[in-house]
Amino acid sequence: MSLVTVGIADFKVSNNPEDTLVTYSLGSCIGLAVYDPEAKIGGMLHYMLPDSSINQEKAEKNPAMFANKGIPLLFKQCYKLGADKKRMIIKVAGGSQIMDAASTFNIGKRNYAILRKIFWKNNVMVDGEDIGGNCNRTMYMQIDDGRINLKISKKGMVEL
Amino acid sequence: MSLMEEIIAAVDEMPPFPQVVQRAMQVLAEPEYEVSGLVDILKVDQAVTANILKLCNSAYFGLPRKVSSLKEAVVYLGATQLRQLLLSGAASKIYEKPNEGYAVFADELWRHALATAVMAQVIRRHLRLEIDENMIFTAALLHDVGKVVLSAFVSDKYRVIENLVENGKRSFQEAEKEILGFDHAEIGGKIAEKWDFPPAIIAAIAFHHEPFRSPKEFRLLAELVALANNLVVMVGYGTGVDGLACRGHDLLLKKMKLEEKDLEKLVLLFQTEMEKTCDIAGVGSG
Ligand SMILES: [Fe+2]
Ligand SMILES: [Fe+2]
Repeated sequence: MSLVTVGIADFKVSNNPEDTLVTYSLGSCIGLAVYDPEAKIGGMLHYMLPDSSINQEKAEKNPAMFANKGIPLLFKQCYKLGADKKRMIIKVAGGSQIMDAASTFNIGKRNYAILRKIFWKNNVMVDGEDIGGNCNRTMYMQIDDGRINLKISKKGMVEL
Repeated sequence: MSLMEEIIAAVDEMPPFPQVVQRAMQVLAEPEYEVSGLVDILKVDQAVTANILKLCNSAYFGLPRKVSSLKEAVVYLGATQLRQLLLSGAASKIYEKPNEGYAVFADELWRHALATAVMAQVIRRHLRLEIDENMIFTAALLHDVGKVVLSAFVSDKYRVIENLVENGKRSFQEAEKEILGFDHAEIGGKIAEKWDFPPAIIAAIAFHHEPFRSPKEFRLLAELVALANNLVVMVGYGTGVDGLACRGHDLLLKKMKLEEKDLEKLVLLFQTEMEKTCDIAGVGSG
């Protein structure tokens, strides 16, 4: 088994059954994991911000930083490897917030809202999610069977 | 010994801040310092010397030829770079100690500290705050140093603390205070005092979760560190068992006139800067 790290503002796709994709310390960021169980192709995205309109240049250089650029890119890269949209299983984690913060602070909520909007427009269903709260999450995806495990703050592993 | 006495004893046992770094910082704080004097201080410490040369010869600077003399490197890097290098080196060693009370993954405290220092610089530039850059860097880098001492105590009482956070709606720091008698910010202030840091830095460390309690003359620095910490915790950089159980300072946003889009821009600038810093420091940014 080899652990493939998806950094912050980064994404990875894989069709190697030996791989486990992992992304650490999801706070207000969102980890999006997509998987085609038949082709055994998976991808994971760790984006930080909802919308790239705040900086076009950055959007070109690092689309994975933004939901509106990163999400379509993740799907496209999986299709390139042979994944099929109809078979995709989709799981989402993150979007946390600090305590009793005003909505200004709540980038996590905006990160999640835009994901729902993009999915709604494209008729994509979410198959599992663990969103919000005051915890941080680490997300793992095994490429051989698409299993998603979450490590939530200090609690043990839970399957999503 | 009572629990609080034990904690204070642990503060007393904290090793001193590295002398070489502290003396070099004093020299570097002067507007016109003597390079040879600085080199004399630095060359005593082989690890420090090696680090300076390594940074100077790193791909980041892309120098056409190898720099092998300490003096040349000191001149080339300049005061700001040197100061940040020296402080980061010292801080990374301090945060390196095992901290089972807080960390979920190794290195977390250090990455969080570095991220907070980067975020504080980004906010300062964005808002054009008139606070000394080096003060900010030092205060932000060391703001959670109290966790190094409190770690073992938090570990012992983890269940009770966690229960207060989960069911009592306390922030992690508030729960520390309730259960242990001290929180990591206060303890950090005591450590900085022991290290003879300037009062503004002591205050910024001691009040980084409650900047409104800072003495007025140092409040701006404490507020800046508090806001930087809020944003870094929010993004999730190096947060450990305490996760995002940290109180947001809405009033600071109002005071600094920061709105949603401003915060998003700050996060973006921060990430770009952090990736650069991690390249130089040789730590992973993700
Ligand atoms: Fe703190
Ligand atoms: Fe902190």
